[in-house]
Amino acid sequence: MLQKPRNRGRSSGHAERVRDASQGGDPGALQAGGDSRAPRDCVAEEAPSTSRGPGGSQGARGSSPQGARRSLASPTVGPRTQKQLELKVSELVQFLLIKDQKKIPIKRADILKHVVGDYKDIFPDLLKLAAERLQYVFGYKLVELEPKSNTYILINTLEPVEEDAEVRGDQGTPTTGLLMIVLGLIFMKGNTIKETEVWDFLRRLGVYPTKKHLVFGDPKKLITEDFVRQRYLEYRRIPHTDPVDYEFQWGPRTNLETSKMKVLKFVAKVHNQDPKDWPAQYCEALADEENRARSQPSGPAPSS
Amino acid sequence: MGAPRSRSPRPKGRRVRLAAVPASAVRAALGRLARSHMQGSARRTGIMTDVHRRFLQLLMTHGVLEERDVKRMQKHCYKVHDRNATIDKLEDFINNINSVLESLYIEIKRGVTEDDGRPIYALVNLATTSVSKMAMDFAENELDLFRKALELIIDSESGFASSTNILNLVDQLKGKKMKKKEAEQVLQKFVQNKWLIEKEGEFTLHGRAILEMEQYIREMYPDAAKICNICHSLLIQGQSCETCGIRMHLPCVAKYFRSNAEPRCPHCNDYWPHELPEVFDPEKEREPGISKSNKKSLRSRRH
Repeated sequence: MLQKPRNRGRSSGHAERVRDASQGGDPGALQAGGDSRAPRDCVAEEAPSTSRGPGGSQGARGSSPQGARRSLASPTVGPRTQKQLELKVSELVQFLLIKDQKKIPIKRADILKHVVGDYKDIFPDLLKLAAERLQYVFGYKLVELEPKSNTYILINTLEPVEEDAEVRGDQGTPTTGLLMIVLGLIFMKGNTIKETEVWDFLRRLGVYPTKKHLVFGDPKKLITEDFVRQRYLEYRRIPHTDPVDYEFQWGPRTNLETSKMKVLKFVAKVHNQDPKDWPAQYCEALADEENRARSQPSGPAPSS
Repeated sequence: MGAPRSRSPRPKGRRVRLAAVPASAVRAALGRLARSHMQGSARRTGIMTDVHRRFLQLLMTHGVLEERDVKRMQKHCYKVHDRNATIDKLEDFINNINSVLESLYIEIKRGVTEDDGRPIYALVNLATTSVSKMAMDFAENELDLFRKALELIIDSESGFASSTNILNLVDQLKGKKMKKKEAEQVLQKFVQNKWLIEKEGEFTLHGRAILEMEQYIREMYPDAAKICNICHSLLIQGQSCETCGIRMHLPCVAKYFRSNAEPRCPHCNDYWPHELPEVFDPEKEREPGISKSNKKSLRSRRH
């Protein structure tokens, strides 16, 4: 009844599936992307695959039976039917969607290991197809976090809307608020800020590094670990300081998901003022907007 | 019918067999695939707009959603992107999206909660017959715990497995060793993520899990898995005939016996001995109706 499970990639036995499952963290609140920009850098920076044969040393087993509508038979290394390819792309799309929900950048190695498997030789094409599907069907852009980093995130090309939260039935993650505050702090202070200064500020809001917070839980862990792991923040030790101090900067995900202008507007709103009230930051934000516009070849003017 | 409607993917028109082995031939097939996606999406499959995309994103966030919330969400998406358009009928709206999703072997599936017949929607995987969505989210031992709970639920008479019985299996789990305390938390995680429902210390499958895994369960446990006599879908909770043993979902019972003063088993014609649940009425914002599964009341024929 069930086809014989094969190694990774598509297998029908659930036992196989289990082995493929990556070590889970907390599934976390299922969250559709945050604030979004849509830079044009595309996924297809992958080096084209070498023209070896469809790799692997397994003997050809014959493709899956045509009538099979359900799980895929052993992914043959030889001839691959259209359907097998479609299924592989589908798996890849779902993998990326689910992984991105945790907001942790997806490593290429994980993708290869858990999804692509035998299809490694056509990985760049698979990824490109998956990216196209993600964009067209779901409105997510697959983006490499930093050039050559081999890690990916999904950027929501749909602008988040306040009412989304109501319809979602929760407030999204409340931690986003804290993140925005920290991002704002960093930007207003000249793009880098010492950890001690961050806590000086947050203390005034009733958020302490050492005290459990009703909404944020463990703020210190959030800011110095979770946001850093999600690549919203960079956290570096400042050399030769005594006592040891660290500094924060924006991480690569922040630059992809939001912008200086957006953060400035947020800060202005919090203070009930106008972004232009901070001329230096406003100029910087404007310059950043122009840079983004320039790097988008035929894109629409960035919505500021 | 209050039955979950299942759709298996219609095979695509073209079945390209790749004769050659070199990567170039595979590339060619991929090219065709890409083109077919593009053409397909414009031609005979539906069109995705931002309205549909936002809808999909929100549905994915929830995992599973009740019909009235789905309708609200649909309205919201129209409001955001296309204020002046007439809102499609929900069924057409979803069919449109599903025709685009077809090439990805996933679909928005409509089902019905087993306890009180409320219609629900979830995005389900059509291709894999395994706990794939969960597999990407949970560790090996957590998945095995779910599988153990699943087996207990399927084997049980009531469709529920007690927390104690599940936790007693903790030593048999694959993967990293798990203590009972940790297992309790993992079970709660399953509840939070809507894979399991907990009632008074017992666990059963959430509607979402049934939607997602019905195919898998019927294949993996063909003998133990129960089927509803009316809708022929997988049955976890329901009522059964004391004489001949056939089973029916509570919402199926409600509909089948709706205007019947003397409910009789459709199979053996013996009196149906259980309390009849009410048919779910979306108009009435009401508490879940009388739905004690397998409540064996003596020949009570109250509606």
